[in-house]
Amino acid sequence: MSFISVQFLIFFPLAVFIYFILPKKQRWIWLLFASYFFYMNWNPRYGTLLAVSTAITYCSGLLIERAGCLPDPKRAAKWKKLWVAASFILNLGILGVFKYLNFFNEIYTDLVSLLGISVERMKFDLLLPIGISFYTFQALSYTVDVYRGDLKPERNFGKYALFVSFFPQLVAGPIEKSKDLLPQFSKAQSFDYDRAKRGLLLMLWGYFQKVVVADRLAQLVKTVYSSPGKYFGVEVAVANLFFAFQIYCDFAGYSNIAIGAAQVLGYSLTTNFSRPYFSQSIKEFWRRWHITLGAWFRDYLYIPLGGNRCSRVRHCLNLFLVFAVCGLWHGASFTFVFWGTLHGLYQIFGLLLKPARQRAAKALKIDPDSRPSRFLKALFTFLLVDFAWIFFRANTLSDAFTLIGNLFRPADLSNGALFSLGLKAPEFFAALAGIAIVLIVDAVSQKIDLRALLLKKNTAVRWTAYLSAALIILIFGIYGSQYTAQQFIYFQF
Amino acid sequence: MKKLIGKGLIFLFVLTLILASLSNVFIYKIDHRGKLLEGLYNSSDPYDVVLMGSSHMNGGIDPNVLWKQHGITSFNYATGGQPIDVTYYLLKEVLKKHTPSVVVVDLYYIGMTTPYGETGFISNALDNMRFSKNKLEAIQNCTPQKEWLSFLLPVLKYHFRWSTLTPADFFYNSSSIYYLKGFSAGTQRYGKQDITKVTTDKKAEIPAKNLSYLYKFIKLSKENKFQLVFVNMPCDYTESNRSSGWVSDCEAMFNTVADLCQKNNVPFLDLCDRMDEIGLDFSQDMNNSGHLNVWGAYKTSSYFGNYLKQNYSLPDRRNDSALAARWNHDYSLTLWRLPLKTARQIQRHKSSTHCATRCVHFPLPAGMKKTNFTAQSKMP
Repeated sequence: MSFISVQFLIFFPLAVFIYFILPKKQRWIWLLFASYFFYMNWNPRYGTLLAVSTAITYCSGLLIERAGCLPDPKRAAKWKKLWVAASFILNLGILGVFKYLNFFNEIYTDLVSLLGISVERMKFDLLLPIGISFYTFQALSYTVDVYRGDLKPERNFGKYALFVSFFPQLVAGPIEKSKDLLPQFSKAQSFDYDRAKRGLLLMLWGYFQKVVVADRLAQLVKTVYSSPGKYFGVEVAVANLFFAFQIYCDFAGYSNIAIGAAQVLGYSLTTNFSRPYFSQSIKEFWRRWHITLGAWFRDYLYIPLGGNRCSRVRHCLNLFLVFAVCGLWHGASFTFVFWGTLHGLYQIFGLLLKPARQRAAKALKIDPDSRPSRFLKALFTFLLVDFAWIFFRANTLSDAFTLIGNLFRPADLSNGALFSLGLKAPEFFAALAGIAIVLIVDAVSQKIDLRALLLKKNTAVRWTAYLSAALIILIFGIYGSQYTAQQFIYFQF
Repeated sequence: MKKLIGKGLIFLFVLTLILASLSNVFIYKIDHRGKLLEGLYNSSDPYDVVLMGSSHMNGGIDPNVLWKQHGITSFNYATGGQPIDVTYYLLKEVLKKHTPSVVVVDLYYIGMTTPYGETGFISNALDNMRFSKNKLEAIQNCTPQKEWLSFLLPVLKYHFRWSTLTPADFFYNSSSIYYLKGFSAGTQRYGKQDITKVTTDKKAEIPAKNLSYLYKFIKLSKENKFQLVFVNMPCDYTESNRSSGWVSDCEAMFNTVADLCQKNNVPFLDLCDRMDEIGLDFSQDMNNSGHLNVWGAYKTSSYFGNYLKQNYSLPDRRNDSALAARWNHDYSLTLWRLPLKTARQIQRHKSSTHCATRCVHFPLPAGMKKTNFTAQSKMP
């Protein structure tokens, strides 16, 4: 079930209530049941694939441990690697079949046709399980953590299954590392009133980001990106700016609901977004954007490839490869691969131009840490990120290039054209206000723990804030029959 | 844990109260709202006859004509697209305040085969009922489960109107339309003949859910001791018969209704079969294929008033001078709403055959979608 549903608003309090009234030793069983119920509510068949991935990685952990006990270290290392490879091949194979089969088949037929051989293009009508990319990566992290000796294999299959299926973060992250989350299921969690309040407040903020900001921005974005040839100049620029905040608020909103929900239950999940649009460089952006995915690629792909402890050329190649794969992870389409690759190129150019930039700054006597300098760097980084989003959001590469071309042609803004892109004037300004609120909260939260600040206030202030927040979400949110609430963008990845 | 549950429940209670009070602001201020607020709660006038049903009835029988010609006090509670189950609960709401001798129920919607009516149409009626056990039952039985919450707290359905709210939404005064007594008909002339007007002896089944409500009406009439009259207003069934959510042969279904009513000793007036008797010219007296226009409604109201007078002992309230003064004034106001020529003709108690030259009709509120919330946008 979606977080944005009445079902979830009934399911979650019930799940929490039953969780805390059960004896501590049995609580994980309830959470496992609730998690599968949550997931299979979309489609019962999803549960089977989830269980298969769980079983494969669970067995890989035990087999790696057994291989490690072999007397011959060389043989042990060989078998351990074999089991890791088997786990990766099987899990990525499942992911490949369900998510990328049509894409790869398309590439294959195109390549073959270039050689003059005619092959009929097949279309595989496969069900794409929601969140398969997320839980597959999380499960694979377990295999690697056990292999690296960071974690002892979990013998309790039920607890391990809960680690893979834990409902708050199952379908769209944060992608937790097994060494961080799995041990938490063996600790007895007591109900903590203040922790629960903090969790609920974070969920409320997540709902605001998603329902009030992201889904409102989506109205305009959808209009422009659905007919890229029809819009020019400011119209394209506004749509592109709005998409930058739509995807941020959509995904960060989901993550905050997930982290808040887990916090209510007593579990600590990793922060997934940390003011990404305040980044000073693309490198920093990837330390602040989808942090758990970035960490996964860093730990399980970038570093094994050699990371930056290799030649300059190899380092650049590693960056390029990791970001191309990261793009592909986001979707089976060339638009995503192009988006990822572009981020890779940003990083490579950033790396190669670093000495020149430093020399230029020195020659011009520019203090890189001064406020104007930091502001300009953040602005430039945002523009690069925002430009790349065009490829992420466009339906095809051709659409993306059309939009980029149109960006530099003047738009006819007479007769309030800007307010006819899906958001009339009051809605348009509400969208801008939403962006401003998100940016202000991001800026302030750097120095102040806003939740702690609110919780210290007297009852009247706190209750006014709670009720106002709930009313703002319910009145200004985009949901119901008038608008179809956008599905969380990241479910499809 | 107990502390969180306790505070959580208080929070939900306060939030619900706020949302309930905001709902009144956000609900569309269309005539359906005004008339139901007046007819259900604000008016203390005695209604000897209440008129219930869909838009066919809403624009079919004019209480002001019944008053002028026979001194019968009545109110028309019909709203556009009102399914029969909604009509039942609306009647129960009417009976909380009023004690009519005769209840007239338009049965057009018993032909609906879908389990629930359209949300917009149901909203026209249910959103304007005050919170009560009856309303809860109505929501439970007349709307799909996934929509219960938005019927309990209509602001959740209309929240998107925040940007188009006007002062009228905050200070809505429904009393200004009370003089209509719930009646509203169009002023178009259809210009075509009734192409399904064929008599048949065939019988067709009444959809099960609607049949059960037919019996509920009969039971309610016995419990509340009012006389029940079922009617079917003049219309062309062509569009209904073709509709996927409707029985395929309305004429045959109404034959079954007639049999059932005879068996249960409830009068059933199929006015579709009495158009000649009423003096209706289908092309001139219909607004469209399914609804009477003001001229047709005048003729039908006159006919129906005679029927009531002949068959029921209803008091002539014109003897009550205070009431008569108000109702006569209301009647005179209705003439201002009508096309000029029609008004003159009605004043002379004659039916009209000429085209209107001037008319006053209520515009839709800004931002309202015709397809969802108007009475006559769709076939019913």
